[in-house]
Amino acid sequence: MRKPIIIVNNISIFYDKKRIIEDFTFQVKSGEKVVITGESGKGKTSLLNAILGFTPIKEGEIFLFGRLLSSENISKIRNKTAWLPQETSLNFDSVNDIIYMPFEFKINKLNYPSKDAIDTVFKNLNISKELLNKQVDEISGGQKQRLLLASSLLLKKEVLIIDEPTSALDEDNKKRITNYILSKKKLTVIAATHDPYWIKKSDQIIVL
Amino acid sequence: MNSVYDIDYLSLILGYIILIIPFYILWYYKTGLVKDAFIAFIRLTIQLLLVGVYLEFIFDLNSALLNIFWVLIMTILATYTVIKRSELKLKFFFIPIFISILLSVIVTDAFFLGLIIKLNNIFDARYFIPITGMLLGNSIKTIIIALNTYYGKLKKEKELYKWYLANGAKKSEALVPFKREALKNAFNPVIAGVAIIGLISLPGMMTGQILGGSSPVIAVKYQIMLMITIFSSSVISVVLSIYFADKYVFDTFNNLKKINN
Repeated sequence: MRKPIIIVNNISIFYDKKRIIEDFTFQVKSGEKVVITGESGKGKTSLLNAILGFTPIKEGEIFLFGRLLSSENISKIRNKTAWLPQETSLNFDSVNDIIYMPFEFKINKLNYPSKDAIDTVFKNLNISKELLNKQVDEISGGQKQRLLLASSLLLKKEVLIIDEPTSALDEDNKKRITNYILSKKKLTVIAATHDPYWIKKSDQIIVL
Repeated sequence: MNSVYDIDYLSLILGYIILIIPFYILWYYKTGLVKDAFIAFIRLTIQLLLVGVYLEFIFDLNSALLNIFWVLIMTILATYTVIKRSELKLKFFFIPIFISILLSVIVTDAFFLGLIIKLNNIFDARYFIPITGMLLGNSIKTIIIALNTYYGKLKKEKELYKWYLANGAKKSEALVPFKREALKNAFNPVIAGVAIIGLISLPGMMTGQILGGSSPVIAVKYQIMLMITIFSSSVISVVLSIYFADKYVFDTFNNLKKINN
């Protein structure tokens, strides 16, 4: 049995003084693909935010990589994760920034992606290399989403946390990219989505 | 030395009548600025009249202690104005911004008055107070633009900031793009302004010195040094303000607190 890499114990989350998640518990094992689904407004995004300390939890506790989610540990925890919010909420000028910006941070410099690594990820996510010279307002939402996913994968972190990973993709790309990301054995993935194909391919389904 | 033509009080009142035109335009386009503009000019008048009286008194006394006290009051007012105009919370921002402005004033005053002009007494009211006033007046504008850009962008691009943090950035690394933007927005217009001085605008201080009977060459030398000092002092106060305020406005998880009123 693989050991749990994320433990969420009896947490409650409030949004605008309203309790949206109550006494909630789940565990994620290393390499497991977990999907969080449920109607809009049920707190999927808040739950993802809580796991990385962006939304405060009122009750309960969260452990990642054996460490309690706390102010002392937060940097160590965030060093081991890749996180992607909804594609539309991130604004960049150039495509280059999407791919290379995270590698300017000290902790990621050692993982600076080789040309080969970029070629492989781009091929699997159906991204044309010519996009690298473009401005973000010249590309489509689907292209931007694939680039953001590429950047997250290139970081080679243990855990990938994503909100609506396939929302801007067409059917063909959806399947192809879902298969590629969920086939990565070592990568632990937590995604919030309605996408039936992604849900079908996941190991654990959490319905809010 | 040529004597300066005084403006008599009747002409002064006549001067105010010209305001009817801009006020009418602001009112016609329903900008909502008429009341603010009206109050601003009333304040300008009262403040300057009081300062005029006060400066006559303070120049006569010319006590270093009193001058320092006056500059401290000016710094407090500058801090207050910056925070109010940026719609930020006083409780987070008063101390960091006050300290930053004060530090930059101390450094640049010491440099300009002590090193460049080589005053025997750098607290000489005739230099210390107006020069500090110009430093403050000019820094305020850039600090307001910088803080507005910085915190505005941090709020608007909150997800981007989180994206940096959650992908391994230290807080200082995640804030770099926001600081860059703040500096660019604040100093672009300043640099453009510096570049056209002499061609299009004759700056106030130089004009004043020439009207007061100084030779244009002296006035020009003062102006150049003053522009350099103002520029340096603004950059220093912007960077320090953001640096000190950052210590107060993030929670222990590095999330931005609610900072606006």
